[in-house]
Amino acid sequence: MHFIFEPGFFSNTTVRTALVLGLLVSVVSAAIGVFTVVRGQSFAGHALTDVATAGGAGASLAVISPLIGFIGGGVLGAGAMDAIGVQRVKGRDIATGVVLGAATGLSALFLYLVTLQTSTTGSTQTILFGSVFTVEPSTLPDALWLTALVLATLFIIRRPLMMSSISPELAQSRGVRLRLVGLTFMVMLAVAVGLSAIVIGSILSTALLIGPPASALKFSNRFSTAVVFASVLGTLATWLGIILAYDSYYWSASHRGLPVSFFVVSLVVAQFVVANVLAQRRRVRVVHATEHHATPEQVGWI
Amino acid sequence: MILSKLVGMVPKKRLLEDRLRNVVMTMVAASSVALTLVAAPVSGASRSTVIHAVGAENEYANVISQIGGRYVEVQAVMSNPNTDPHTFEASTSVAQEIASAKLIVQNGVGYDAFMNQLESASPSSSRKVLSVQSLLGLSNNTKNPHLWYKPTTMPLVARAIEKDLSSLDPIHALYFEARLTSLLTSLKKLDADILSFRSSRAGVKVATTEPVADYLLQALGLDNETPFPFQADVMNGVDPSPEDISFQQHLFTSHLVKVFCYNAQVSSPVTLSLRDLAMTSHVPVVAVYETMPTPHFDYQTWMIAEINAIGEAIEHHTSTTSL
Repeated sequence: MHFIFEPGFFSNTTVRTALVLGLLVSVVSAAIGVFTVVRGQSFAGHALTDVATAGGAGASLAVISPLIGFIGGGVLGAGAMDAIGVQRVKGRDIATGVVLGAATGLSALFLYLVTLQTSTTGSTQTILFGSVFTVEPSTLPDALWLTALVLATLFIIRRPLMMSSISPELAQSRGVRLRLVGLTFMVMLAVAVGLSAIVIGSILSTALLIGPPASALKFSNRFSTAVVFASVLGTLATWLGIILAYDSYYWSASHRGLPVSFFVVSLVVAQFVVANVLAQRRRVRVVHATEHHATPEQVGWI
Repeated sequence: MILSKLVGMVPKKRLLEDRLRNVVMTMVAASSVALTLVAAPVSGASRSTVIHAVGAENEYANVISQIGGRYVEVQAVMSNPNTDPHTFEASTSVAQEIASAKLIVQNGVGYDAFMNQLESASPSSSRKVLSVQSLLGLSNNTKNPHLWYKPTTMPLVARAIEKDLSSLDPIHALYFEARLTSLLTSLKKLDADILSFRSSRAGVKVATTEPVADYLLQALGLDNETPFPFQADVMNGVDPSPEDISFQQHLFTSHLVKVFCYNAQVSSPVTLSLRDLAMTSHVPVVAVYETMPTPHFDYQTWMIAEINAIGEAIEHHTSTTSL
């Protein structure tokens, strides 16, 4: 066991907080990420991480909880993107890009002011790249109810959301209020991004948001299956990342541990590569099977 | 043309965009006001007879003015006790001060690397630049840059400043020399304080957040139990490893240290929660600073105040959360 878990791993409160947060964030990111990927809003998701950065930097300046800053910034950004027109497919990239640019500029200002006005050190590093080992255990209750909020909201709007994600025209003809559903989704996306920002940093939260869902969607086109599969992949990546970061302290004589975010993101990318290779093989098999007059439904592909 | 037509077709959207534009304009205006406030030049008309000098850190600026007296006008670049000098970014007003300075004292060891850039941006053959790092003959790999906490540093710096001031203004060389002598005398008093502290309390265990006062702690004969990687991580603004954090917590909860020297200018969520833990574990906390706390101190009284605060913490378990 010591080979995998270096001494003190399970008795360390810092590590325990990190593991719980890692689980919550992975599940939330998976659930919201599957819809984000299907809706083709990965770029919007990434822009929200930049807006969350501005919020986190603002929180650092105002010396309030970074979680409040990340989520507050993200929700404001979601509202701004909706106002400029993120819902229309045509204007989507422009709305996203404009908000992204404005937010990043604001982050630059806030992070500069932090160095001028406070004794806080390492804000830029913490906000952009995360520091799950430095999160206060008192953040956990907030993270827990925010996770519940996102999951419950997604569950309630799942039908109109799925329908509008696959075919907006069809959804509209069935009486789905596209804008309301879209805005609700964006706000939940902002909350999810804020949560994962405190674990792997605002910039890297895209990785957890897009990576595991993209891998999961290689194997299942069913929303519920993909969400469960993405949750498992995400949790594996974060937990393994935390273990490796903890162990990395013992890898060198100088006892300088490597950052968690690096490991988590590497694992997410590795999963995606493996998923692609496996899916490729599977597709070959499917093609092979159809040649023998089997329908895609029979192979379970659709 | 097409764009405006499209926008015109949707008047509601246009209203929204106007509103958004207003918001953005207000934000831009607000941020430019903030910038001018930040960049407000430090006032100070320099008379031609007075030597204009700059200390990159206010403790060096203080020593310059102790020697230069009325013939020198000194500006300190870093002097805000509520900010972290490690993350300092120079403004244009600093560049102006440096361009007009005849004598500059800077720490070196990467602590104030921006000074070198600003000096080479405004080259001057008549300007004298004193690097404390090279005065002490230290390499760039020196791990702890807080050289002014070393008791041997300031006497050397003071002598070098006197020499440079006297060559810049030979008429007042005697004046500078006399002031140097009285400064050296008071620095000897500081040395005596350190020796007497050491004789009674050497070997006492302490914890730190950051290496800022480490040279002084060494001179006082105290044992710093905090692992250096932890201190370096806090100094460099990266996350300490969870192993080091829990070791530090263990130092307090098991009462293995008598004092927690807390760097009041370099804080993070980790150091703040450690300070709380030290308080609740009844380990006295002593605030130590990167730059000289203003305005009640000069370099010597600042160092003596730190030594006394640490002594009080050991003898009477009293915390000094700010000087």
